[in-house]
Amino acid sequence: MDDAQLEDRVHECGQRLAAGLGSADASGLRHPLAIGERRMMRSLIADPRLRAALFRFVDVRPACQSRTELVRHLSEFLEEAGAGSENARRLARLTSRRGLTLPTAGAAGLGVASMAHRFIAGEDAQAAASELTSLWEQGRCVTLDLLGEATLTEPEGERYAQRCTQTLRALGQMSAGWAPNQLLEHDGLGPLPRANLSVKVSALTPHLRANAPERALSAARDRLLELLRLARDLGAHLHVDMESLDTRESITELFLELLALDEFADGPSAGIVLQAYLTDSEEQLELLLGWLEQHPRGAPFTIRLVKGAYWDHEVVLAAQHGWRAPVFTDRRSCDRHYEHLTRRLLDARAGGLALRPAIASHNLRSLAHAIAYSDALGLAPDALELQVLRGLGDDTAAAIAAYGRRVRVYCPVGDLVAGMAYLVRRLLENTSNDSFLAAQTTGADINLLLERP
Amino acid sequence: MSTENTFRNEPALEFRREPVRAQALRALAELRTKLPLRIGAANGAAAGGELLSYNPANPAELIAVAPAGTAADARAALVRADSAFESWSALDAGTRAATLQRAAGLLRERRLELTALEVLEAGKPWPEADADVCEAIDFLEYYALGALALDRGRLLPQLPGERNTLRYYPRGPHAVIAPWNFPMAIPAGMVSAALVTGNTVVFKPAEQTPACGHALVQALHSAGVPEDALVLLTGADEPARELVAHPLVHGIAFTGSCAAGQHIIHAAAQAQPGQRHVKRVIAEMGGKNCIIVDADADLDDAVPAIIKSAFGFAGQKCSAAARVLVCEQIADALNERLAGAIRALRVGPAEDFASDLATVIDAEALARINAFLDGAEHEPRVQADIPVGTGGHYVPPTLFVDLPPSSRIVREEVFGPVLSCERVASVEAAVRIVREGDFGLTGGLFSRSPQTIEYVSRLGIVGNLYVNREITGAMVGRHPFGGGRLSGTGPKAGGPDYLLTFVEARSVSENTVRHGLVI
Ligand SMILES: Cc1cc2nc3c(=O)[nH]c(=O)nc-3n(C[C@H](O)[C@H](O)[C@H](O)COP(=O)(O)OP(=O)(O)OC[C@H]3O[C@@H](n4cnc5c(N)ncnc54)[C@H](O)[C@@H]3O)c2cc1C
Repeated sequence: MDDAQLEDRVHECGQRLAAGLGSADASGLRHPLAIGERRMMRSLIADPRLRAALFRFVDVRPACQSRTELVRHLSEFLEEAGAGSENARRLARLTSRRGLTLPTAGAAGLGVASMAHRFIAGEDAQAAASELTSLWEQGRCVTLDLLGEATLTEPEGERYAQRCTQTLRALGQMSAGWAPNQLLEHDGLGPLPRANLSVKVSALTPHLRANAPERALSAARDRLLELLRLARDLGAHLHVDMESLDTRESITELFLELLALDEFADGPSAGIVLQAYLTDSEEQLELLLGWLEQHPRGAPFTIRLVKGAYWDHEVVLAAQHGWRAPVFTDRRSCDRHYEHLTRRLLDARAGGLALRPAIASHNLRSLAHAIAYSDALGLAPDALELQVLRGLGDDTAAAIAAYGRRVRVYCPVGDLVAGMAYLVRRLLENTSNDSFLAAQTTGADINLLLERP
Repeated sequence: MSTENTFRNEPALEFRREPVRAQALRALAELRTKLPLRIGAANGAAAGGELLSYNPANPAELIAVAPAGTAADARAALVRADSAFESWSALDAGTRAATLQRAAGLLRERRLELTALEVLEAGKPWPEADADVCEAIDFLEYYALGALALDRGRLLPQLPGERNTLRYYPRGPHAVIAPWNFPMAIPAGMVSAALVTGNTVVFKPAEQTPACGHALVQALHSAGVPEDALVLLTGADEPARELVAHPLVHGIAFTGSCAAGQHIIHAAAQAQPGQRHVKRVIAEMGGKNCIIVDADADLDDAVPAIIKSAFGFAGQKCSAAARVLVCEQIADALNERLAGAIRALRVGPAEDFASDLATVIDAEALARINAFLDGAEHEPRVQADIPVGTGGHYVPPTLFVDLPPSSRIVREEVFGPVLSCERVASVEAAVRIVREGDFGLTGGLFSRSPQTIEYVSRLGIVGNLYVNREITGAMVGRHPFGGGRLSGTGPKAGGPDYLLTFVEARSVSENTVRHGLVI
């Protein structure tokens, strides 16, 4: 298949996915709340000052210990934003009217809580059980992510490890009762675990150091080892997330070193993340593929391809130190590189490597490209997994499931305080000018959205 | 001055990349083969014997041998600097600025070697040693640009028939007395500011870090500063006292302890027979810096920033955090997390990239800080482990919680890895405490309330206030550095006004009316 033919196929897939997004309107947000939310998102995208004010409010919300504190912060943020935003001025007038303050605070507090609930499935796995089960029933599998405060101390690392242990067990128990689903549980390489946990190595230890990756190797080793053993014994999948570049070397080395141990030769199913926004991500992919070739294991290895969630952080950190940014700074190059890495992953799979490519994105173009290329290689439909985040990619997940492809929903669980950093990041991402979802929300033409980057 | 637009800070080494770390370690190994460094008797015969510097992590490792300068050496050095003044001051500003920029280039070429030298001689961990070398380069570049701007003079109001000009002139030989904690950057700032404005300099580095001081002088000489316009005077207190008292000295730039600074100010004020000028003193002295933590602060951010501010380079920075003033609503949570974070600190030799903090500078510092710790009657204290049996000058990073306000640890500058955390009723109460302190150098505020941030910022209670970040690591140009009260005389180092202290303004008013006509 040549380039032009592939492009045609990408567009077809994209159109089909877009059609699956929902019926009520083009962007697929159906119920009234979602429409209101969409209106809000639109106004936030158009009004950066108001956006900053509201995000700062969301950020500080869990630290406000009284309603008075809540109102004070909200009105301060709005007042500051008021200099350049008519919307913010209007809202500020509203919150400063005396009699209104308490109800406003209540509404603002509740607003954040309900927004948080959209992204965060519950306090813990148990609380999220019915949600996870219903996702499975709708033909979507899941991976759980445990939100928490930063790990700055050993007891915090220990608590996180315990939460991981409990979550793996809880997932094992609840998923045992799920109805069989061929697409979600098997591919050409064998069975896929139902229980799937995404782990952050930075939460396991306070010893991650950018300049001394070896420190985390010993500090996090035992905890990660225990989790791998448990996942193996339970037949669950253990995935390590990728975080800021400062931690990549530690995370990669530690995880690969442990997986190469004899005791893990046949399990558990495991995986890692590749961040396409890093300009050296192809070298990182080579490193992973090389390792895979040298360490054949009984259980296939998943590589989740993402663009990367720490773009601003990487750019700011580099600028402050005078370094060249380690990430692409142009959206289209980033997207192009993502497609390049998608093809490399699928080629490797087609070449017979025990590799499970997982394409994690909400960008219909990125997803459609993966599907079209996988098909063009003649891979079976179940050879490709697509992944989305809960809250951001709910409609996308529905569309993928309707397309007959395997989709995994990344479901964060945790309490509101712990979830705030996550929530703010997702909201910012969702309303950033550079985001596919923002473009989609503001009603951009689907053909434009599917254009080759 | 319009240096802000063209100046860029020197990029830090990217130690998070393995090849960069490997290069650094190679540079260190290479340097080790040349030890001990022998610093020539540039300041005359070594009548005072030798000055030796050692690796604080291994006092058996001799780093450098330099002459221990005497009062006579100081006098001789000043005579040389005085003799060079006429020709150096006569150069145009562009020539002197270009010389500084060349010196910056030479330091840049030796980046890794110099960083390794700081690691060994000052016991400064890699990232901080590197930051110091960068800052030295920054000062050279920044003041070069600043001197060019200064040379353009200032515009004055003009009336018909009258032409008014204002120009800046160098003053004479300067004494630069530098500390060991920023062994390259601080002297680079003081020396280059004096030189670039046309003054000559006798530079006395700290006795603990003569090799770092020598490296700086070497770069400036190689770049074209005449040997006599910049004279290196290694030694301890004796030559420094002589420099301060000597009538040939026009200005003294000092960074160090509060006691020494006050002594210098006092001594410099006494005019000597034959002295026809008033000495100017720039003194950057101590700090007892506070970080205020508001009830709405994000502890995920505050804790690592406090740890970095208090324990980076084992607290041996005048900008380091010594006290945390936390609003009582979140005090317990903060204390618990701080304690846990301290226990997770790794103390080890500076040359090990895995060390969070290393040694203190010498046995004397060790004894002084330990006396503070031994004397602290109040518990609990939280500490991290330190290496034992190495002979290195290690002090465990230590946290005290809720000490009585009368405690020495709360009141005095420890200049070591010791932090005290006190509860306050409100940010206003914390501000009062900061204002009551003797020092006013740096300070921190963690808050998410725009009004609280604005309130504390406007008060101007410290020279450098850092909001929602660590309170150390001032960058040349971006964070002009220096404080008030007993922290120093000002002006701000690395800021637009610094060079003014090294010059004298002269104005000329010319009558341009001839025969009743304006010409
Ligand atoms: C299931 C799942 C798991 C994930 N796990 C991880 C993980 O472990 N680690 C991680 O880092 N992220 C992870 N992510 C987050 C992911 O990186 C972000 O959701 C993703 O960046 C959004 O990309 P998109 O393809 O959905 O949207 P798009 O709108 O197509 O892309 C947005 C992304 O492009 C990049 N970008 C933005 N601006 C620019 C610019 N100016 N120049 C170049 N690039 C730019 C950024 O990465 C930004 O996030 C995960 C996502 C999913 C769905």
